[in-house]
Amino acid sequence: MNRTFQWIDERTGLSGPIRAFFNYPVPKYVHRNFLYTLGGLTLISFSLQVITGILLVFYYDPSTEGAYNSVDYITYILPLGWLVRGIHHYGASAMVILISLHMLRTYYYSAYKKPREINWLTGVLLLFLVLAFGFTGYLLPWDQKGYWATKVGTEIAGSVPMMGAYITKIMRGGADLGQATLTRFYATHVMLLPTAVALLIAVHIFQLRFHGMAPPITERAKAQSKKFLPFFPYWVVTDLIAGLGLLALLVYISYINRAPLEFPADPTSSNYLPRPEWYFLFFFQLLKYFPGKLEPVITIAIPLFIFGSMLLLPFIDTSEERRPWHKPVTTLVSIFYIVVILVFTYLAMAEFG
Amino acid sequence: MAISDLPPLDPEKGEWDEKALSRRDFLEAAVVFGTLAGAGAVAVSVPSMRFLVGKSLEPPVAQWVELGKVSDLSANDVTRVNYSVRGTDAWREVTKRGTVYVYSDDGGESFVALDGTCTHLGCIVQWHDDEQKYKCPCHAGFFTREGEVISGPPPRPLRELPVKTENGVVFAEI
Ligand code: HEM
Ligand code: FES
Repeated sequence: MNRTFQWIDERTGLSGPIRAFFNYPVPKYVHRNFLYTLGGLTLISFSLQVITGILLVFYYDPSTEGAYNSVDYITYILPLGWLVRGIHHYGASAMVILISLHMLRTYYYSAYKKPREINWLTGVLLLFLVLAFGFTGYLLPWDQKGYWATKVGTEIAGSVPMMGAYITKIMRGGADLGQATLTRFYATHVMLLPTAVALLIAVHIFQLRFHGMAPPITERAKAQSKKFLPFFPYWVVTDLIAGLGLLALLVYISYINRAPLEFPADPTSSNYLPRPEWYFLFFFQLLKYFPGKLEPVITIAIPLFIFGSMLLLPFIDTSEERRPWHKPVTTLVSIFYIVVILVFTYLAMAEFG
Repeated sequence: MAISDLPPLDPEKGEWDEKALSRRDFLEAAVVFGTLAGAGAVAVSVPSMRFLVGKSLEPPVAQWVELGKVSDLSANDVTRVNYSVRGTDAWREVTKRGTVYVYSDDGGESFVALDGTCTHLGCIVQWHDDEQKYKCPCHAGFFTREGEVISGPPPRPLRELPVKTENGVVFAEI
């Protein structure tokens, strides 16, 4: 055994880094703390998406004529197809929830402050890419839901002043939604985004390892901050338990509720109400209050403002204070956003019944 | 980066070449590298972008689609036509489908065809005969029979399509 390891180490030089990775000292206050497993859980849910995604690609047919039937086949005929598609479908929602909670955790702990700015910035990009996963994946079954949401979604991008029309066409691969659109969305969803997300996660986690955990904010945690446990097995075991719990939940939901598939895309239907995935609903709802010339306020100005202020946050909030109850501005701003999102999501859901 | 920045080498291993110790040589090599790397990046990214844009920006090929016989279209009311026509979609031969509304202002002598696609975000509008207007189900945009915006978010009137009549059959160009 030892000789094998030695042989490998002499050729690869990897045993040092691997040992350091596993023995990494993790502060005790992090151990068995659910709030600190959220990042790891996001990583586990991403891995589940990658595994189920690779499986789906074996059967999915990315053509306007075959996509719908292949998804129908996966869902209703293929052995365990319901399970694989179910985990991928519900797992996407889980990932959005987890990444949001993880972001809120790091936000309230002021973990974005010096020297962890790059950790936060890669996080903001990851959030954006995860939403892009949702947007591109929604079209792939080529059913009514995906077709109309994408038609409206690409049209919204068209409200950018001056270049709007070009953006819409480039997103669609032509003037109308069609084969070129499906292929583009497919390529983005299965090649471009997974690669980009995997690279960013690597940077994100390397940053985390480089700086260590951000300082604790409660007195109780501070008292434990000089005690450490090795990453393996103490931290990984907590993450693994949480991850298996997530998997069990996704299996259960997929079992009681098949991943939905509506009627095939019909470009002539005039009573179909397009609606996006639930996490874009609040945005869709907001659109209704800003008709006509004001529309770019919602479609362009507000998203740019939110995304921009998230990117700038670590450079604006540079105080030493990390306790959210002593930082009324950041705390109230976040509560304002959460309330707006909840209220408009609720209004949209009430409208769709 | 200066000469003193290079970490000393273990004398057993050897020593740095003088080239490496000369600031001038170093800068020269760095400038050559920078120029070549920049040129390489442009040479790779510009064609890649062009490739990705592809034919997206080309106007769609116009096609005449049959709306129906003059005798089948209403002389007074608005008729909804769901057309389907064979055409190419990128590399694929498909049946293209869409919705056109047809009406006549002169009792069936000539016809006007409106594309049923809402000019707001692209939903298909519905003709409401009782109210004599088109209603968009998505964000409550309303249009007159002639396609002018009455209220709601749509920025432009419905698109009017060129129409021709041949041997008693009405066609519109989409
Ligand atoms: C694919 C998405 C993501 C993955 C896989 C991921 C993964 C992780 C992991 C495993 C940790 C350490 C454990 C923890 O603090 O929970 C972490 C820490 C962190 N993450 Fe993320 N993350 C993602 C997205 C985000 C987002 C969207 C943000 C914020 C915009 C963010 C900001 C941070 C920060 C600031 C830390 C450092 C926390 C500290 O030092 O206490 N991450 N991330
Ligand atoms: S798409 Fe018709 S009103 Fe918005």
